[in-house]
Amino acid sequence: MTESDLSRPAPAATAYQDRPQPANLADILERVLDKGIIIAGDIRVNLLDIELLTVKIRLLVVSVDKAEEMGIDWWRHDPMLTVKERGLAEENQELRDRLEELESAQGSGSGKGSRQGTRQGSRGG
Amino acid sequence: MAEQGRYLYAVCRGLTPAAVDGIVGLGGRRLDLVAEDDLVGLVSPVDLDEYGEEGLRRNLERLEWLEEAARGHDAVVQAAAAIAPTAPTRLATIFYDDDAVRQRLREQHDAIVAALDRVEDHEEWSVKVLTRTVDASPEPVAVLASGAEYLRAKRAEQEARLAGDRDAHVVAEQVHEALVAVVAASRRLPPQDPRLAGHEGTMVHNAAYLVHRERSEEFVALVQGQTEAHPDVVVDARGPWPPYSFAMLDDT
Repeated sequence: MTESDLSRPAPAATAYQDRPQPANLADILERVLDKGIIIAGDIRVNLLDIELLTVKIRLLVVSVDKAEEMGIDWWRHDPMLTVKERGLAEENQELRDRLEELESAQGSGSGKGSRQGTRQGSRGG
Repeated sequence: MAEQGRYLYAVCRGLTPAAVDGIVGLGGRRLDLVAEDDLVGLVSPVDLDEYGEEGLRRNLERLEWLEEAARGHDAVVQAAAAIAPTAPTRLATIFYDDDAVRQRLREQHDAIVAALDRVEDHEEWSVKVLTRTVDASPEPVAVLASGAEYLRAKRAEQEARLAGDRDAHVVAEQVHEALVAVVAASRRLPPQDPRLAGHEGTMVHNAAYLVHRERSEEFVALVQGQTEAHPDVVVDARGPWPPYSFAMLDDT
């Protein structure tokens, strides 16, 4: 397939018509979603939503496990992804900490120090 | 009719209305040029039902919608890049009216000009290196006597595959080193998922190369040479693309 794709290095004027069509969706998405010039439009989709979308698409586009398995991790230096990942990890840790706090507070408050005790207590009340 | 917005595909230099005649925007709508100083924004009307904040939030999550929009966006960018220096904008860059487009072009003028200077007369090539898939031969497994033998065979197969992937990674570096000799810039991209890209084998290398038009034949010949030099991997080159991966503003 490589040979046929390369067999016609077309002159510049018609080059774009020679690109094999339809181009692979992964190739297009990785370009139109986070390459090119990024300027703010009037329509602002909630940034959180965009990030969720980007993370989702990235998960589709990137074989993270495969790459890591092979020791390829330079893409971790991509600021967009790294910041987001760190953000998620931090948020996750924060939530875990809060959950622990809540659980231990609840545990000592119930007097029995176990989840079972708490549940029994609420059913009894 | 739904309220209309202006979808900005790309910012170009020296594009004339006659040149874009015949190029069709998203949803089959006509393209317009919005000029500001030496820059020209390539826009078309879009329904804000579909491309407004609510619509986008809903639609961007649907892969079919996303695919159609991405392909439509790319088609316009491709057509423009074939005739003028072009800096594509990110998918779904939308304004309420042309004045807002002009204002943004004014604000970002110098950065956009710098991006256009970088990509003028250049095109982008996508080159991937993939491992060759070993022909699956199920018969040895079928005649194996015991479960232990089966597991041993499986493990050996897996180890061979991993070793093959490591070798392919080394080959990929050699291919990359060879190609960068004739390019203006290169950018590594994350390996793609086969579910989206549809490839077989492991993608050990995915990169974009910015090549001067006058050197594209040289680049293609180089890729071909690499393909022949490394028959144990697949060197998959696609292009030319508009210079998406290199038309970035400096602060992004």
